Amino acid sequence: MNIIHTSHLTKTFRRFVKDPGLRGSVKSLLKRKYTDKTAVDDFDLSVEPGEFVGLIGPNGAGKTTLVKMLTGIVAPSSGEISVLGYFPNKLENAFKMQYAVVMGQKSQLFFELTPADTFRLFKELYRIPDGDYKRNVGYFTELFGVSEFMDVQVRTLSLGERMKMELITALLHNPGVLFLDEPTIGLDAAAQRQIRAFLREVNTQKGTTILLTSHYMEDVRSLCPRSVVINGGKKLYDGSTESLFDAYQTHKKITVAFDRETVFEAPPNAEILERNPYKVTFMIPKAESGAALSSVMSRYTPSDVAVEEEDIGAVVERIYAGGGAL
Amino acid sequence: MIANLKFIALLIKLKLSHMMVFRLSFFGAFFSDAALFVMQLAAFQAIYGQVDAIGGWSRGQMLIFIGTFSMINGLSMLICFFGIVNIPDKIRGGDLDLYLTKPVNPLLRLTFENINLGSAPLLFLSGGIVAHGAAVEGAAVTMPLILAYSALTLLMALLYYDIDLIMRTLPFFFIGTNAINRMTDALVILNFRVPGVIYKGVFKVLFWFVLPYGVMATVPTQALTGALTPLGLLYALGIVALFTAFALRFWRFGLSRYKSASS
Repeated sequence: MNIIHTSHLTKTFRRFVKDPGLRGSVKSLLKRKYTDKTAVDDFDLSVEPGEFVGLIGPNGAGKTTLVKMLTGIVAPSSGEISVLGYFPNKLENAFKMQYAVVMGQKSQLFFELTPADTFRLFKELYRIPDGDYKRNVGYFTELFGVSEFMDVQVRTLSLGERMKMELITALLHNPGVLFLDEPTIGLDAAAQRQIRAFLREVNTQKGTTILLTSHYMEDVRSLCPRSVVINGGKKLYDGSTESLFDAYQTHKKITVAFDRETVFEAPPNAEILERNPYKVTFMIPKAESGAALSSVMSRYTPSDVAVEEEDIGAVVERIYAGGGAL
Repeated sequence: MIANLKFIALLIKLKLSHMMVFRLSFFGAFFSDAALFVMQLAAFQAIYGQVDAIGGWSRGQMLIFIGTFSMINGLSMLICFFGIVNIPDKIRGGDLDLYLTKPVNPLLRLTFENINLGSAPLLFLSGGIVAHGAAVEGAAVTMPLILAYSALTLLMALLYYDIDLIMRTLPFFFIGTNAINRMTDALVILNFRVPGVIYKGVFKVLFWFVLPYGVMATVPTQALTGALTPLGLLYALGIVALFTAFALRFWRFGLSRYKSASS
């Protein structure tokens, strides 16, 4: 049985528009003009219990709106939606007791107080029995290695430590479904790795169904066996993450930095993204990246070299151009 | 119900803990509200010391009126004002998202999450003014009268909350509501200074029905001085019931229109 199900789900927002300048503003006072923006368009999605699904798409693709409909924050304009057997926007407490949402850019911690204080509020909110509460706080703080920060003012924690506390807060009541909206945004590589390990553990050990939206390809790639790609509100791809990356992530991004001014000659088939005398960034087909890197290392003496996966926007564009089929 | 009360108690404890993090503002809050009250009292004395009666109300009645309005205002600031005053920003900024996803009534949480202990002395000072006014008036104050006065004052504090909530709910429908909020603030100040009995015609409709600030301190004052008619009492109870029902329905309607904000 599906734990999340949507069919022809659509969300349209009405947006105020006006002509530029004062004249436009005066006109808008007398006659308002609106335009419709379809943030999520005819979207079908089914998720089974225990799945870890990645939701991929560039800015404005409709990911967050979809999550907001799934959590009941906004009402759909049309279509069917069911999460844990509930219509989310009815905002029933029985439904809200069974899921959790973490928004990377919105904190639910009390900044001036300690994580323990926030945990106490959530214990009361979700009516968590004492035994479960103690067990979960112990388990999660141990897993994340943050026991020592329980009585420290949240304001003084690093971004990574704060995000760990956000995740613990969300998981205290053992939710069946966890919605994660950009949980690793702004974090350094080490913190991202720790959070990925934590989420993997929660998914496998607790059986929590997780829907993850992220701009970081590595988040999705390392955590989600299944990916859903969304752009312009429409679903472009729904299937294996591995197949998706094999088929569409065809390039690597290489950045070469120098200590002194260097005239850099790009390898064949490289597309220069950024160039100055001290730094060059280029894209190169994945199959040629090894040879290109060897060539760079033999011809120059770089102070630093970084090899990254292509960013999500380029991959989505390629999927879009290919019609979304594999 | 018990779960909600426990939740409110925890919110209050957390707020107190939060206030105690900042020692200066924690202790300063008690002085600032009391100082504001003393200033208002000085302004009242400067104006009403020159006249014997306003709209047929004696100096004693006016003192009870001022004390009552101050008490309603104090109750609001103590319990809910600093919670619901942030609602427009939470609607515009999308911060309401976090309230909607938690298994507790978001309005309950918003109402009680920002109590302001600094307003507590205001209640005692206001009570002192009311007692002084009753003495000046020579009112025969009995226990049933005190109970009736207290109950009506609490009901009027609820009415004050209702109007405030309606105003703070408007951003669900209109983004810019600062001008309306400034206007209602000005109307509160006006009604803080003059009893509702002086209004006639369109002003009576405005301050007794549309934005019934004129009823708030007037009715409990009339109750304490024995001037409240059964019809006046019925009207007061009716207007509170009407505004409470409307405010809650309006809030729920606003929530259904909530669009959040792009991240």
